[in-house]
Amino acid sequence: MREFLQLVVVGISTGSAYALVGIGMVLVFRTTGIVNFAQGSFAVLGGLFMVELVDELHGLLAGLVAVLAVGFVGSLVGFVAVGFRHRTTPLASLIITLGIALLIASLNLLAFGDRPHTYPTIFERAWDIGGVLVQPQYVLVAGVTLLAALLLTLGLQRTIAGQALGACADSRRAAELVGIDVRAVAAIAFAVSAGLSALGWVLLTPVDPVNYDSDVRIAINGFAAAAFGGLASIRLAYVGGLVLGVAQQLVVGYADEIPGLGQQARQYELAAALVIMLVLIGWRARHEVHE
Amino acid sequence: MSTPPLLEIEGLVVKYGPAVALDGVSLSLEAGERVALIGPNGAGKTSLLNGVCGLLEPAAGRVRLDGRDLTGRGPGEIVRAGLTQVPEGRQVFPTLPVEANLLLGAYGREFRHELVSATLRYLRRRGEIAARLERVYSLMPKLRELRERPAGRTSGGEQQMVAIGRALMAEPRLLAIDELSLGLAPLVVQDLSAFLLRLNEEEGVALLLVEQNAVLALELCSRAYVLEAGRLVLAGPSHELEQNETVRSAYLGGGLDVADAEPGTQTEPGP
Amino acid sequence: MSRGGRLPGLLRLAGTLAAGAFAIWLGYQLGPGDRSLYTLMGLYAIVAIGLSLLMGFAGQISLGQGAFYALGAYTAGILTVGLDPDDRFLPEAGIDPALAVVAAPLLTGLVAAVIGVPLLRLRGHYLAFATLALHLILLAVIFAQSRFTGGQDPGLAVIEPLEVFGWQITGVTGGTARHTAIVWGLVLVTLLVALNLVGSRAGRALQAIATSERTAAAAGVNVSAYKLRLFVLSASLAGLAGALYAFMLQFLSPDAFGVFLSIQFVVMVAVGGLGSIYGAVVGAVAITWLEHELRELGTRPSLLGFDLPDQAPQVFSVGVFAVILIVVILFFPRGLLPALGDGMRRLRPARDES
Repeated sequence: MREFLQLVVVGISTGSAYALVGIGMVLVFRTTGIVNFAQGSFAVLGGLFMVELVDELHGLLAGLVAVLAVGFVGSLVGFVAVGFRHRTTPLASLIITLGIALLIASLNLLAFGDRPHTYPTIFERAWDIGGVLVQPQYVLVAGVTLLAALLLTLGLQRTIAGQALGACADSRRAAELVGIDVRAVAAIAFAVSAGLSALGWVLLTPVDPVNYDSDVRIAINGFAAAAFGGLASIRLAYVGGLVLGVAQQLVVGYADEIPGLGQQARQYELAAALVIMLVLIGWRARHEVHE
Repeated sequence: MSTPPLLEIEGLVVKYGPAVALDGVSLSLEAGERVALIGPNGAGKTSLLNGVCGLLEPAAGRVRLDGRDLTGRGPGEIVRAGLTQVPEGRQVFPTLPVEANLLLGAYGREFRHELVSATLRYLRRRGEIAARLERVYSLMPKLRELRERPAGRTSGGEQQMVAIGRALMAEPRLLAIDELSLGLAPLVVQDLSAFLLRLNEEEGVALLLVEQNAVLALELCSRAYVLEAGRLVLAGPSHELEQNETVRSAYLGGGLDVADAEPGTQTEPGP
Repeated sequence: MSRGGRLPGLLRLAGTLAAGAFAIWLGYQLGPGDRSLYTLMGLYAIVAIGLSLLMGFAGQISLGQGAFYALGAYTAGILTVGLDPDDRFLPEAGIDPALAVVAAPLLTGLVAAVIGVPLLRLRGHYLAFATLALHLILLAVIFAQSRFTGGQDPGLAVIEPLEVFGWQITGVTGGTARHTAIVWGLVLVTLLVALNLVGSRAGRALQAIATSERTAAAAGVNVSAYKLRLFVLSASLAGLAGALYAFMLQFLSPDAFGVFLSIQFVVMVAVGGLGSIYGAVVGAVAITWLEHELRELGTRPSLLGFDLPDQAPQVFSVGVFAVILIVVILFFPRGLLPALGDGMRRLRPARDES
């Protein structure tokens, strides 16, 4: 039982970070129809910027700067990914974001090198709750994620920018007709979603180091979280992220007991997540009417 | 020197791939005028509107507002120039409350900027826009009652009001309405046309009514154009067209109300 | 999409056959160094033709063609050296290499069918991510099951030469000129099969799907069945190419099958034009060459007076690729090659058109 709880605690925190990436994907997809493959790159950038900044600035300020900087990068990416009116299809946009992910990865390789990056957590020790070790950093990630998700939902409902995003999500045609520039809104959606993804790894990096090529893993996990709700629901993307994170930890934790895997279990961490995702998507496929 | 017409379309051609939807149409409309564009299903009426409003890029031809060439400009620029379209099938934002729908009609023009400056402009013009909202509410009191409700959960007639109200928030000088009567009960259509008439006469908003329902369109407008297979075939004052034999047999169904005869079957060729 | 009718069919066929004959002949003329690059171009062309059909006609994007390629390579390799890791390298441990080459595309096709059935009913991005996931899963399996696959170290040595009816295709030292020629022969065959497919009744259904899925479905075309067949076909072609690759280097390591490979295939198709068969071959050749040159450039100690860092080969090839991909998709969404063709035609006033 204790082991189980331990795995759940870790799973919720990594799952939260995946949820942030997934929520970003939902936001972008709903408002622009684009599935943003570079969403994982934003997370990596967030983590790497934070590692660089945390030596120079106070932790809070460093985090803020990292998130804003990635948000700015995100808005540029959005501008490029949307492409030209009447010419760039959603599939083309997906390929463009793929190219952007590659570009960011190679620039990161150049700037930061090929090694996992991390920074020390500010918390001195873990809490022991009934034998379950809880790293304060885990609690921080989970808490901030929940807060960010709530704030985002509120912002979408209550602010005019949020409503403009909602308008594009509801009907891009009608949004264009009232004079909303869909490209500008896309840039906003990309910026916000980039900031969210960055936030996840700004916080998670002390317990989950990032390398320049972590983007693919993060993008896929984020997509899986988003796909849990058919890329349409922020709430379901949040749930999807947590489910994915916990399931992944449980598979890894108990894999030794699965016959045939034995000691190689840890190497299957990512594969386990991906199989879970494939099952989830396949399950959705049976429920979603073809559009 | 004579002032140019409010809207002037010259030889407009719209294509979907190789298919020509609109084949060189010219028409014009003066400030404060009420003009109808009638024609059968698939004649190219919606293509014309979309070509004018910037949703489609015209293959040839010119679109001028107040003499200013706006051909091929984006829809945002057309709205800012004073022409707002009420799209076919209303197309409200279903998940947003009625009031947000209306506000977006006014704020839409700010969202060509990035988030920060759009929000700043919003704050700066808050009072002016609140006043405009108040005026729309006073023109359509029903909307005030519905302000909190998601627009998707209002009736068809109410959604048409929301769509018109949303368009009015942009303070247009020309309102282009695509299929006002589509799928609405005759009584509701009557109310709406009375409202549009008042809007035109009291506020001076020019109307371009794009309709399959020729009876309604000719009754409401002083002038009309008839579009068939992508070309204009007739034009003239409504009362003359009403007497025209071709129009009578083709569109007025020998006196039968076309709107009641075939409701909700209208579809224009999609992109 | 198809530009048939511009040249009379027979003339075009003759031209294609002549070009194919030249490509095969070239295989015998090159030195060993250039030859292996040239063989790789041919292998990638086979993959790209399949992917171009899938992207152009089914509107679906697969980020897992590299996985199918790897799956084909490892299937052929493992079957050849023997399934049982302990008896490996004993004579008669594995099956005939020629049979292994046949088995590889069958298996990859089967895998594609299994994941394609649920996913092809959904919009394109689901397949994109699922196939990418497949790629990563496969890599994880190759790493983890090193008893069977050799993992990263020592890798899998496929020393058995490929022989068909006593006709030796690869020797103990790997790829031969004959192997290269056969690869390009297969490119020609694949090209003709694909052209035939596009021109056939099935091809018209595919054209209809490419134009508007909804209209095609309304006209009674079984859209998801066609998409599935295309997906399986494209995966099988990748599997076949992978199997032939296994005998070229005679050595397999997961490093050769990174995610970047899958993306590279997409770039080849994007450059050549979605749905263009000839374009896929040209795209494959051009991109493979470019990648090779960029990597070479990156291995230099310095460039234009700047010292190059250790990561330069990777940064160069990946980063430059990324930029090409973005620019091509943004400005030439129908492909670089078709755009060039259009431009040439515009320069030359229409003679017999319209």
